[in-house]
Amino acid sequence: MIDFGFGVNTARAINMDTNDLDTAREIFDRLPDLQACMACGSCTATCTAGAITSFNFRKVHTLVRRGEYGEAYAEMSKCMLCGKCRLVCPRGINTRGVVLLIKKKLGDY
Amino acid sequence: MNFNSSFALPFSVGVMVLFVVITYKYVRWLYRLPDGDKRQIGRNLFSRQTWKAVWECVTESLLHRRIFRVNPVLGYMHMSLAFGWFLLIATGFVETVAYMGWTPVPLRGHVFFKYYSREAVHTEMWQMVFTNVMDALLLFVLSGVALAWTKRVYSKMLGMRRTTRHVWGDRVALTALWCIFPARLLAESTTSAIWHNGGFLTGWVGSLLADAMSPETLVAMESVVWWVYSFALGIFFCAMPFSRYMHIFTEVPLIFLRRWGIKSDDRPKSFDHFQLEACSRCGICIDPCQLQRDAGINTVQGVYFLRDRRYNMLSAEVADNCLMCGRCSERCPVGVDINSLRLNSRYTFHNSPSFRRYDYLRGVDTSQGEGKVGYFAGCMTLLSPRILQAMERIFEAADEQVWWADRNGGVCCGRPLKLTGEVDAAREMMRHNTQLFQKYEITTLVTSCPICLKVFREDYNLQDIEVLHHSEYIQRLLAEGRLKVTPTAEAYTYHDPCELGRGCGIYDEPRAVVKSVATLLEPSETRNMALCCGSSIANTAIPDGAQLKIARSLGQSLEATGADGVVTACPLCKKAVRRGTTLPVYDLAEIVADNLTTRH
Amino acid sequence: MKVTIIGGGVAGIQTALALKGLGHDPVIIEKEDTLGGKLRGWHRLFPVMTPARDVLEPMLKQLRDQQIEVMASTEVQAIESDGVVTSRGKVESRATVVCSGFDLFDATLKEEYGYGIYDNVITSADLEQMMNNGKIALADGTQPHRIAFLHCVGSRDEKVQQRHCSKVCCVTGVKQAIEMRRWFPHSEIYNFYMDIRMFGPGYEEMYRSAQQEHGIQFIRGRISEAAPVKGGKVQIKAEDTLVGRPLKMTVDMLVLLIGMTAGCSNSRWTECTGLSQSDSHFMRPLDMFEGNVRSELPNVFYAGTVTSPKTIGESLNEANAAAMRVAAYLETL
Repeated sequence: MIDFGFGVNTARAINMDTNDLDTAREIFDRLPDLQACMACGSCTATCTAGAITSFNFRKVHTLVRRGEYGEAYAEMSKCMLCGKCRLVCPRGINTRGVVLLIKKKLGDY
Repeated sequence: MNFNSSFALPFSVGVMVLFVVITYKYVRWLYRLPDGDKRQIGRNLFSRQTWKAVWECVTESLLHRRIFRVNPVLGYMHMSLAFGWFLLIATGFVETVAYMGWTPVPLRGHVFFKYYSREAVHTEMWQMVFTNVMDALLLFVLSGVALAWTKRVYSKMLGMRRTTRHVWGDRVALTALWCIFPARLLAESTTSAIWHNGGFLTGWVGSLLADAMSPETLVAMESVVWWVYSFALGIFFCAMPFSRYMHIFTEVPLIFLRRWGIKSDDRPKSFDHFQLEACSRCGICIDPCQLQRDAGINTVQGVYFLRDRRYNMLSAEVADNCLMCGRCSERCPVGVDINSLRLNSRYTFHNSPSFRRYDYLRGVDTSQGEGKVGYFAGCMTLLSPRILQAMERIFEAADEQVWWADRNGGVCCGRPLKLTGEVDAAREMMRHNTQLFQKYEITTLVTSCPICLKVFREDYNLQDIEVLHHSEYIQRLLAEGRLKVTPTAEAYTYHDPCELGRGCGIYDEPRAVVKSVATLLEPSETRNMALCCGSSIANTAIPDGAQLKIARSLGQSLEATGADGVVTACPLCKKAVRRGTTLPVYDLAEIVADNLTTRH
Repeated sequence: MKVTIIGGGVAGIQTALALKGLGHDPVIIEKEDTLGGKLRGWHRLFPVMTPARDVLEPMLKQLRDQQIEVMASTEVQAIESDGVVTSRGKVESRATVVCSGFDLFDATLKEEYGYGIYDNVITSADLEQMMNNGKIALADGTQPHRIAFLHCVGSRDEKVQQRHCSKVCCVTGVKQAIEMRRWFPHSEIYNFYMDIRMFGPGYEEMYRSAQQEHGIQFIRGRISEAAPVKGGKVQIKAEDTLVGRPLKMTVDMLVLLIGMTAGCSNSRWTECTGLSQSDSHFMRPLDMFEGNVRSELPNVFYAGTVTSPKTIGESLNEANAAAMRVAAYLETL
C-alpha cells in the first residue's frame, strides 16, 4: 500500500507537546550545522543507499529533529557513509557526522 | 673500594622500580601478542631484519637521524641527551673496569664512581684521559639540556612552531631529568674541589667552588649534592615508566618488532602498547598537522591522541577528529603508525555488530558492458562526470573492452565506513563488491578513486585481479604506446592525494602522466609531505568552514608554483581543491583525454 | 559638474540620464565596446514579457540625443578622489558612481550538472540568447520535448561559496518555463526548486498562471546530479521532498538557472579605495536604508547590482536615487 505519510487518526501527528526533544537538542548542540538544512533533498537524491533501499536521510534527520526517534537508528544504519551527500549539500552540513551522531545518541531506540 | 654510602639509596630504589615495571610491561605485552604475530617473530628472529633493527637502534634511538632531518639543532638536542648519556654510562663502565679490573661492582659504583674513587690515586695518564673524556661527555649532555630549556621558552629556534603541552607525570620526570646533569656537575665538582680529582670541567668548577667557600662548607655540601643527584636519578627512574620517557627503552623493542613484520591493525592488539609507549611526545607531529595549522584545532594531534590513549583518557572526539592524511607519521622520528592506532581506537568506540544491516545489498548489480578490464568509478567520481567522460574516451582510444561496475550507481567500497571504525559492517560491502568482480571474471580492476584503491589493495581479497589506480593504468597505456598524447605548452602543478601518495605510495606514475602532456611544477610541500585537501572522508568531525580553510591554504601553496592549472588524481581532492583556488583544477584523466593524439 | 559613471549597463545609463537631467556632466566608462550590459543578452523581461529591447533602446536613444559622453572599450583601473584612472588615461571628475554590475555564475563549477560536458545542459543565459537568435533547439537540431529547469544554481550554495540568494532566478525560471511552453506547446516542463521566492508585483500571479494555465510542473527538490543517456538526453536525480522519495527523470534539455555573483572588479574597487565588500563580495553600501546608494567615501556612489542582486526595475530606481545623491553632494562642494 502506498504510504502517503498522513492518515485520519490523530496518533499520526507529530506531537511537539509530548515528544521528548532533549535528544534532538543534544544533537543540535553538537552539530549546529544541521539547523541550516533547507530540505532541498540533494542528499537523498544522490544517496548510494537510498538508490537501493527506502533510506531517506533528509526525512530521518528531520523526524529526529522533531523528536520522532523511532526507527531512526535502524534507518541510519542503512547508510554506507560514502560521503556523496556531504559533497552535494548546498548548506555544507557535515552529513556523515550527523549519521554517526544520530546512531550514537539513538542507539537504544 | 668501599661502595657503601646512604646517598645512593634513592638511585637504587629508582633502578629497582624501573626494572620491575618495564619487565612486567614488556613480558605482558609480548605474551599477549596474537599467535600469528608470535610465529612471525619466530620466523624472522634469525633473519637479516634483526641486523637491520640493530643498526636502526643505533641511528635512531641513539643518533636520532630522523630528527636531524627535521631540524639539525633539534636533532643535536635529542642526540646529545640520548647518545651523550649512553656514552657517559658506557665510558663510566669502562672506567670502573679499568680501575677495578673485572671484580663485581654494584650499579651505584659505576654511576657514582667519581665519589667512590675520590680517595684513589689519579696520577696515571690513562686516568687523566678518562676523567677528561667523562667531563667532555657531561658537557655534551649539558649542552643538550640547555637547548631543551631554550626550547621550552623559544621553540622556533629549534624549528618547531609549537611544542607539546604535557601531563603532570611528565612534568615530574622532565624536571627530574633536567636536574640530573646539572646536579651531577655540581656533585662531581664539589668532590673535585675537595679531592682535586676533576677534569677540565669539574676541576674548573671545583676550583671556583673552592675559591668561594671554606673547606668545612665544601665537606658539608658534598654529601648534600650527591644526595640531590641521587634523588634526581631516583625520581626520574621511578617516574620514567609512567611518563613519556618510557620511549627511551620502548623504542628498541618497537624497532625489532617492526622489522620482524609486526603491524598495528584495524582492531586493537597488544603490539599497540609498544607503539603508544614509544612516543616521546616530542611534538614534531604538531606542526605538520593542518587541523592545527589552518583550522586552529589543538587537542587532537598525534602526540595528544597517543597520550590520551596511553593514559586511558581518550575521547571519541579526539579519535574521530583527524584527516588521517598521514603527514604526522611521515615526520614522526619513532615512526609510530598513528593512523592504524587511530583507526583501531575508532573501532573500539564505534564498531557495532553488523546485525545484517546490509542484507539489502544482496543481488544489487547495476553494472554494464563486457570486458576483462573492470572500471570502478567510486561514489565520488560519480559526482565528477568529467572524469567519467575522460575515462570513457581513454578506454575507447586504447581499444579497451570495459566492464563498468558502478556507472549507474553502485555499492560503496567500504573504506569510508571502515575509517569511522565500523570495521565489521564495512566488510559486508567489501564482500558484496568482491563477489561482483568475481562474477564478471575481470582480470584487471581500474579505479580513479584512491580511497577505493587503498581498500581494494589492503582489505579485499581479489586474488587474480590486478588492481590499478587510473594513474598507473594510463601511464602503462602511454608506455606501451596504446595511448598517444600531444604535449601542450601548459604548466601544471600536481597535488598528491593523501590516499594515493602516502596511502598507496603512488607518486611517480601520475607525475609521468602529467609530464607527457605538460610541464610539471612542484609545490613546496610535495610527495610524501604533500598537503591534504581538507575534505578527507576520514574526518567526520570538522565542519565545512574548517574544510574550506584547509583547502584555501592548499590552494595558496599550489598557486605559488605559478602553474596554469592544478592536476590531481582523486575526485574528492578535485572538488576540494577547486574550492580553495581560482586556478582550473583537472583530474589526471581529463588532461590526457583532452590531449589525445587522434589516430589516422 | 563632471561625474564619472563606471559601467554602461542599465544602471549606468539611467544614472547618466538622470544626472544630465539635473544639469550635470556625466561620462560613462564601459569596458565593452557596446552599452547595455547583461540586458543585451536578455530576450524578454518578467513579469509582463516586455522585450528587453523595448527597455534598452529608448534609453540608448536618449543617451545619444542628450549627447552624453561615452568611453567604450575602456577599463577603469582605479578610483581616486579626483576622478578615475582608466586604460586610456585619467578622467577627472568631482564624483564617481560605480555601476559595474554583477557576473553570471560559472555553471561549470557545478560539475555534477554537466554544463560544458553534456550537449543539452544549458544555462538560463544561453536560453535567452537562443530566444534572441530565434531558434531553440537541442544540440542535434531537434526540438526538446521534456525540459527541466533547475533553480538556485550558484545561489544559496556553500560549496561554490555563493551563500546569497540571487533573487531574480526564481521568477526568471517561471518566465522561461512559460516562454518554452509557448515555444513548444506540446512539451513537458518541470521546474526543480528549493523555495519559490515571488517577491515582486505580478510575480506570484505569474507563478500561478505558469502552474494553472501553462501546465508547468513544480517539483520541490534540488537536482543532485545529471548523467548522460543515449541520444543526447540527460538523466537527472532529485528527491521529490514533498513525497519524500528519490526521483529520476530523463529529459531532453536541462536549463540551469544561474545566479548572480559579485562582479570581478569589486576586489579592485576595494583595493584602490578601501571601500568594503559584503560576505558575498558585493560592494557594501553605507547602510541598508537611507544610505543604500552611498559608499563609505563621500564622492563615491553605487547603483544597481554592484551592491546586491536586483531586478532591472530596482536597478533603474537606484540609478535615479544615486543621481539625486550625487547632485546633493555636488552642491555642497
